[in-house]
Amino acid sequence: MSDFIKHPVVSLPDRAPEPVFSKEELVFTEAEKEQIEAFRAQYPTPESAVMKTFWLAQEKFGFLPPEVIRLAADTLGIPFSLAYGVATFYTQYYKAQKGKYVLDVCTCFSCQLCGGYDMLRYLEEKLDIREGETTEDGLFTIQGAECLGACGTAPMLQVTNGPYVHNLSREKLDALIDALKAGKKPPFVSVTLPQDEDDLGGNRRSDAEATEVGQTPPAAETFE
Amino acid sequence: MPKITIDNKEYAFEGQPKLLQFCLDHGVELPHFCYHPALSVPANCRQCLVEVGMPVRDRETGEISRNDDGEPIVRWGPKMTTSCSVDMADGMAVRTHRSSELVEQAQRDNLEFLLVNHPLDCPICDQAGHCPLQNQTYKYGPEGSRFEFRKVQKPKKVVLGPRVMLDGERCINCTRCTRFTDEVSKSHQLTIIERGVKNYPMTPPGEVFDDPYSMNVIDICPVGALTSIDFRFRARIWEMSSAPSITVTNAKGANCSYWVRDNLVLRITPRANPHINDYWLPDEDRATYARFNEQRPDGPRIRGDEGLQPADWETAYARASELLGSADGSNILFLGSPHATVEDNYLLCKLAAALGASPPAYIPHVKPGAGDGWLITDDKAPNAEGCRRLGVRPVDPALVRARLEAGEIAALYALEDDPVASGLFQAAEIQDIPVVLHTYHTTNETLAAADVALPAAMVVETVGSYVSEDGHAQRVWPAKAIRGVNRTLRMEMGVSRLDSHGTPFDRWHNAANQVQCKPSWEMLPNIARGLGLEWADASPKEIMREIAQHLGAFEGATYENMGSSGVRLTEIGTLA
Repeated sequence: MSDFIKHPVVSLPDRAPEPVFSKEELVFTEAEKEQIEAFRAQYPTPESAVMKTFWLAQEKFGFLPPEVIRLAADTLGIPFSLAYGVATFYTQYYKAQKGKYVLDVCTCFSCQLCGGYDMLRYLEEKLDIREGETTEDGLFTIQGAECLGACGTAPMLQVTNGPYVHNLSREKLDALIDALKAGKKPPFVSVTLPQDEDDLGGNRRSDAEATEVGQTPPAAETFE
Repeated sequence: MPKITIDNKEYAFEGQPKLLQFCLDHGVELPHFCYHPALSVPANCRQCLVEVGMPVRDRETGEISRNDDGEPIVRWGPKMTTSCSVDMADGMAVRTHRSSELVEQAQRDNLEFLLVNHPLDCPICDQAGHCPLQNQTYKYGPEGSRFEFRKVQKPKKVVLGPRVMLDGERCINCTRCTRFTDEVSKSHQLTIIERGVKNYPMTPPGEVFDDPYSMNVIDICPVGALTSIDFRFRARIWEMSSAPSITVTNAKGANCSYWVRDNLVLRITPRANPHINDYWLPDEDRATYARFNEQRPDGPRIRGDEGLQPADWETAYARASELLGSADGSNILFLGSPHATVEDNYLLCKLAAALGASPPAYIPHVKPGAGDGWLITDDKAPNAEGCRRLGVRPVDPALVRARLEAGEIAALYALEDDPVASGLFQAAEIQDIPVVLHTYHTTNETLAAADVALPAAMVVETVGSYVSEDGHAQRVWPAKAIRGVNRTLRMEMGVSRLDSHGTPFDRWHNAANQVQCKPSWEMLPNIARGLGLEWADASPKEIMREIAQHLGAFEGATYENMGSSGVRLTEIGTLA
């Protein structure tokens, strides 16, 4: 976002892009169609099911180029323009090919104060790419993200619209990258409040894959 | 009847109107951008905020609680609300910016937000001068800007489709355009893309905004974001004058305004008429303005030894009378025209009857399958229904051919049409018979055989009435001046162009581009008098009064009744 403040330029999207997927690839299986039909049945109008359908399509195709958006719209029977507007609205829908792991490092106010940019720059250095870029092996994409709603455990990041990694430090990032390179996605971590340790025995969730006790966030070394 | 109090003034209302529309209908102006009476209510511009309250009622009795003065006690809403989305209720109290500083402040602050990323290019913007954002900023906005950062740069000069261009920076994301394509034209070709400060309307990839009604988004755009590719930078709004009229591209009779500068029609925009076209106009109706300016004739012409030669009006009338007089009346073929007004066709009928000819026929201009069932009709001429009601029937080409071959056509009188181009005759076939032609353009193919060519005033220059396919009779006003003096036209011009631009009395008056032509209702009586008939000059208003009196099919179709939105005539079939 900081780049946008310095250079607030919105570019025109390619209005006639070459399709990425061939006609043969652009199909939903029967099972997927059934699933989409089930999404549609959950809402009074088919327009409402567009977000879940996109999610399904993104898991299948990896990202949402215009032809996939059109496929989703046609499957639901809604206008392509409406679906395209929704897809461009949400940053979690990837309109371009990304790395296998997308690391959304929060750089919004709270995280920034607690070192969000320190973490982002460290990752850039470590992976030798800039924010918004993908590593050559296609494994990692780094992005700066706006508030992901976990200010209490700042700084933090999210892995490919999935699990959060809390209370980041350089060591933790090293470990995370190593684990991801080994094909191990971080678990869903439930963070408990430190004051609950004494009174409620930690008040840990029994259904969480992992738990962690909250800690006082560090102060940032740099701001932008 | 339920009552509502707006700024301490009480209004009675019926039904369940929205507050903003009710205010606008009752002269209580409220600033707004996204609200449009023909579209859904998204309440996203936040400009029409007002304070709304309901009277306090006693819980036990349900009676309205009153203070010591007997005034109802009002419980005001905790926050302001958008008046466009509020359903009115009995006893509701409203404070607008006229009585509430809070509302005034909210409107000012909201405008400041809208202007944060709006470029200040009003001096080169086509919308300037009739821009709701500009007007309302002057009226309700802050005096200056406190914004010190770089404004967001968005795509400019984006060709959305063949007729519409987008300037993303000017857009305030009111979504009127996307709602128009979703709800009215149903082409779903526009959407708002991206989010936050980055958003603007766009076509999805691979699609072109070629909706046959696409240019309506230009009219409803409250800023200069959507402009006409054709009209861009052609004229400033305050240099033009407009006259209320109807379009003549097809038989729907959609209401429009013709915008004129220096006697050239520069654009055509819709004029609201709930009986016909609401607020909309198809693109094909707007694309035809050039035909009012180009290839127009310069005065009457008479065929001499060296072909058609310029002549003055008196000579041309005399020649026409002479040619008609020399033929046996029953052998003159009169062709009326669905392009001409009811009055002109009526005078032609009268002339035909006076000479003992059979009633005029007209050449139909129907393109089957061209219509869309809404504002585009199969019939590409504006007045076929008017002709039909006058007793002017579609011409039977076989019959005309038979008569021609039998030598029964001794002369041809064609009103504002092109019999050769429409295939009724070959030019060579009518070369030897006298042909009197009223024509709009020098490209008229019948001119090759015409003996007297009389330039006729087009819809933008004349006064007259047309009957739409649905039987809606409407009158038109002159939008631009023609060469020469006609008192009726001049008087009508003073009424039609309220801004009085282009009249002889203002500094915009310009004799350039005036076409030397005359309305057919002025030419026909002159020719009739040359034939020895006792015809007085009559204005179209008087002619129409006569028609309305004598012809049941036009009952009630006087100019007084037609007004600016026309009058629906009784179905012919249902007449006794």
